[in-house]
Parts: sequence; structure tokens; C-alpha cells
Amino acid sequence: MATENPYAQYHVVKKGDTLSKIAEEYYGDKMLYPKIFEANKDVLQDPNKIKPGQKLRIP
Amino acid sequence: MRFAKFFVALAATTTMLIGCASQKEPAEKAVAQIESSVAEFRADAEKYAADELKKVDESIGKLKNSLANKDYSMVVKAAPSLQSTISSLKQSVAVKKADAEALMAAATAEWGEISAKVPQMVEAIQSRVDTLGKSRKLPANVDKATFETVKADFENMKNEWTAAAAQFASGEADAAVRKAREIKAKGEQILAKLGMTPAA
Repeated sequence: MATENPYAQYHVVKKGDTLSKIAEEYYGDKMLYPKIFEANKDVLQDPNKIKPGQKLRIP
Repeated sequence: MRFAKFFVALAATTTMLIGCASQKEPAEKAVAQIESSVAEFRADAEKYAADELKKVDESIGKLKNSLANKDYSMVVKAAPSLQSTISSLKQSVAVKKADAEALMAAATAEWGEISAKVPQMVEAIQSRVDTLGKSRKLPANVDKATFETVKADFENMKNEWTAAAAQFASGEADAAVRKAREIKAKGEQILAKLGMTPAA
């Protein structure tokens, strides 16, 4: 099992968040949302379905 | 009368020669013992007390010259003092060696901690720098000038890390750790400039 990187950044999903919004917040570009989706495939099956309270890694 | 004087002189010379000859063996033994004492810790002394060892070697050289000149009494007289100096040097070298080993152990332990963290830091920063490099627009908390500075600082950080790792591998643990602390601090500054709040 890989050890968690202590310097990785995380985002806890709030109501109304989308991966695009999160990508815009952290990267300045909503089109980069697949980066976040790819990094969280262990918890996300669909980039359009995220739930409040989910902790997503922001690579 | 002349015969008596000659006899006295002859007796004195004979006594002196016998006296000298009787000092020969102790003098040779003393020099051999001194050389043997120094040989026991010469390698450590060269490393931890080179200047003091040089002085002792000079004194041994003088003693050996006296021995070669058959000045045995001089050798026998000077040997105990030199042997005492050598004993002190041996103790001093042992203390310095123990201190150096303790310092090395502490540095190695700290290197172990830092060398586990810095590559993770580099990985996290590299990922963000690569992603922001592809972004059409930077996030609100990072302006273009800051991002350019970060990229340059990050390249320096990686180069310095490679140098520190090489330094540690070559046995310069203390210097490598000092450099590693600076690199880690630089990495933390880069993380802050990128607005990356670490999880830990």
C-alpha cells in the first residue's frame, strides 16, 4: 500500500461544487477537471457525480 | 703520577662507556614502545588530531636521532614525557572520535527523516507546476510573476537536492543535512507561494 504524500493538497467537497469549479479554484482553468478526476478514481466513478463531504486529492 | 692520571682517565672513560652501553637497551625499548603506542591509534589521530600527531611525530624523530647518535641517556630521560604526551593524545583522539561518531549518527537519523519528506514535496510541487503550466489562466491566488519565480526556485531546489544527496553519499552527512534543511525550507516556501496547504 502506497504511503500518503503529506504534501498533497485536498479539497473537501461542498454543496454546489463541481469538478470544473474545483479545477478553476486550484488551477485557474475549469477545463483541467480531468486531472482531479484521474487522481480520485478510487472514490469517483463519474466526474459529474461528486458528493458534499468527499475528500478529493488535488494533484 | 702520569701513569696514575692515565689510569684514572681510562677508568672514567670505561665507566662512561659501560654506563652508556647499559642505557642502550632501555633506550631502544623506549623508542620501540613509543612507536608502537602511536601506531595503535595513528589512523584515528590523522583524522581527528592531525596537528597534535605531527608534533608527536617530530618529537619521535628527535628521539630517534638521539638514539642514532648513541645519546642513550637523553633518550631514556626524554621518553617518559613523550609517552605521557602520547597517552594524552590517545585519550583526546578517542573523545574526538566518539563526538564525531555521535554527530554522524544524529546527522544520519535527520537525513533519514528529511530524505523521506523532500522527494514527496518535490512530487507534489512538480505535479502542481506541470498542471499550472497547462492552465489557460492561473488561479486567483497565484499571479504570473509568482509562478515564474516558483518555477525557477523549484528547479534550483531539485538541483540542490541532487547535490545534497551526493554529499551525503560521499560521507559528508553533517553538511548534507544542513543543506537538506535549507532545501526543505525552500520547498515549504514554494508550497506556500502556490497556495498548497499541506495535509500534514
